[in-house]
Amino acid sequence: MINLFRLTSFRLIFIYTILLVVSVFLIAFYLHLSTARDLKNRVDEDIIKESKMLIRVYQRGGVNRLARSIAQLSQIPNANLYALRNNNNDIVAGNFKDKESLWNLKRLDDGWVSFSSNRNQESINESLLMREQFFRGKEFILQGSFNLIIGRDVSNEVYLWKRFLTNIFSATFFVLILGLFGGFVLSRNILSRISAINRTSIEIMDGDLSQRLPIGSINDELNQLSINLNMMLDRLNKLMTGMKDVSDNIAHDLRTPLNKIRTNLEVTLMSNPTSENYKNTIQEVIQDIDVVINTFNSLLAISRVESGSLSLDKEKIDINNLIENVIDLWEPLAEEREIVLTNQTDRNIELDGNMNLLSQAISNLIDNAIKYGPNGNRINVGAKLEKDHVVLWVSDNGPGILESDKERVLERFTRLDTSRNTQGTGLGLSLVSSSIKFHNGKISLLDSNPNGLIVKLELPKSF
Amino acid sequence: MHILLIEDDINAAHYVIKGLKESGHVVDHASDGEIGLDMALSSSFDVMVIDRMLPKIDGLSLIIKLRQEIIRTPILILSALGEVDEKVKGLKAGGDDYLAKPFSFSELLARIEVLHRRTNPDTEETFLKVGNLSMNLLSREVHRSNIKIDLQPREFRLLEFLMRRSNQVVTRTMLLEGVWEYHFDPQTNVIDVHISRLRSKIDKPFNENQMLFTERGAGYALRSDD
Repeated sequence: MINLFRLTSFRLIFIYTILLVVSVFLIAFYLHLSTARDLKNRVDEDIIKESKMLIRVYQRGGVNRLARSIAQLSQIPNANLYALRNNNNDIVAGNFKDKESLWNLKRLDDGWVSFSSNRNQESINESLLMREQFFRGKEFILQGSFNLIIGRDVSNEVYLWKRFLTNIFSATFFVLILGLFGGFVLSRNILSRISAINRTSIEIMDGDLSQRLPIGSINDELNQLSINLNMMLDRLNKLMTGMKDVSDNIAHDLRTPLNKIRTNLEVTLMSNPTSENYKNTIQEVIQDIDVVINTFNSLLAISRVESGSLSLDKEKIDINNLIENVIDLWEPLAEEREIVLTNQTDRNIELDGNMNLLSQAISNLIDNAIKYGPNGNRINVGAKLEKDHVVLWVSDNGPGILESDKERVLERFTRLDTSRNTQGTGLGLSLVSSSIKFHNGKISLLDSNPNGLIVKLELPKSF
Repeated sequence: MHILLIEDDINAAHYVIKGLKESGHVVDHASDGEIGLDMALSSSFDVMVIDRMLPKIDGLSLIIKLRQEIIRTPILILSALGEVDEKVKGLKAGGDDYLAKPFSFSELLARIEVLHRRTNPDTEETFLKVGNLSMNLLSREVHRSNIKIDLQPREFRLLEFLMRRSNQVVTRTMLLEGVWEYHFDPQTNVIDVHISRLRSKIDKPFNENQMLFTERGAGYALRSDD
């Protein structure tokens, strides 16, 4: 129980049950009380009216007339009770026969009395034989030592009141038990679900990231919470796996050039080198180290763009100018490889963006197209305006990218050359992707006809 | 060259001082902004290398103070904040060049030497001459030994950049920044191809000494042929 009371759900249900019981009790009690009072008032008025009449009869015609009147009144169906007693407490007139019961009258204020009898039944109502009857009446002391009681059977009201009391208490008790039981069952249900969530959370904390919170069949708040938490876990898991892949790849990509440097240095040291040999080796080592530094720089650049920590300048960019400049940078290298590099940009396209990031993105795409394509490849760069978007593309007739690899290549360190022998860090496209993300744009990799790749960038004109 | 280095990172300072001394320069070192300001005001230097983040007085305020005191010594700003924006702020405060950490020593040395030589502002010259290579910035013509060389606009800008910094090592990054205005480094060394193209125009056709050199692991240099 202590455990139950610590539960919010149980506490709430308990409090509400108590409140409900108390208010039901109060309302019923009030209703009953006011009805009972109305009934009593009617009885009282009736008795007072008759008593006035009978007292007048007595004053005019004495005991005999009174007795006659009483006898007449007693004939009326559902009549009041009358008991006219003399000095010896003998009933001399009236329809009330149980004189012993009148010996212990309970006297209330203002001449009102109440009494009970279980021997007066047959005369009134035969069906209520065994029951004790309750009466309410008024006692009058008449001149000449007579005593008149006019009363009314109020057994029904008394029994009703008694039954009401027992009923309301048992009903209250029943509601209370039901409420507590319901609360217990409900809370236990919620409690078991919460402890299931707790158990799973502990397992996840202990390192089993594949665990997921149980989902029930009813889509309530608790279920929604579990679903959301599960989605959060999925996302975290994906990020964690991504992180792990990235760190594995960093380790791999660092080890390769470092091994190369080490071997180079070892071989130089063993070969009885001249100072010219030393110089050459050191220059080679510097170049190899530059590769490592380059990798780190690219990695940092990507994470800066992605974290948005970069308060990058935005400016109006003339896209044709931008592409022209990047092509200008790559033209000599393309020419060396007999690659035709063409620009198909519409004039006067302007875009709000970061010059450096976009230049680097286009530059990386051209770099890839040259690096992975054959000599004599054709590379086409272009841009056009589509509604409020600028569509940029870099297409080539190179080997293209398999459908299954298209999503993967945008991730860090993905290199489709599994032997990792070709030059490159596997970061070029990731940087393009994060630059485009920074510009609220979209990158898609499409197949070119008959072969090759089209990288399509869609950028909002302003963001 | 007499260089003032204001840098609070002892390791970095040590490495820079060692390198500069080995390259034949005299280096004074201050480890915070206050001492640095005193030193900068009390004696004259050829170049100052100032870290962006310094205790007591930060690098930018220090530069602003120096410029207010009408000290025109060329200043190279060093910073871990390698963002373009930071660069702009540094240059606006009165710095002459900006280098992001971590940097290679050759890059730093090349930039210091270029700063030192840049006594004449770029804009005022209309005629450049290195050995028997000459460039007319008005007619945009280039001659070597009185023979005209046809250059494409970009080649012209590349050569101009190299001629203004003749006999000094110019790094790849400096060329990308100065000629293309790019603040990124392409994975593939495209600059090499531009240089060899330029070489095929200014060196190859002439039966004279080579002028345009590739310094392995450092950069490129245009040296006079006499």
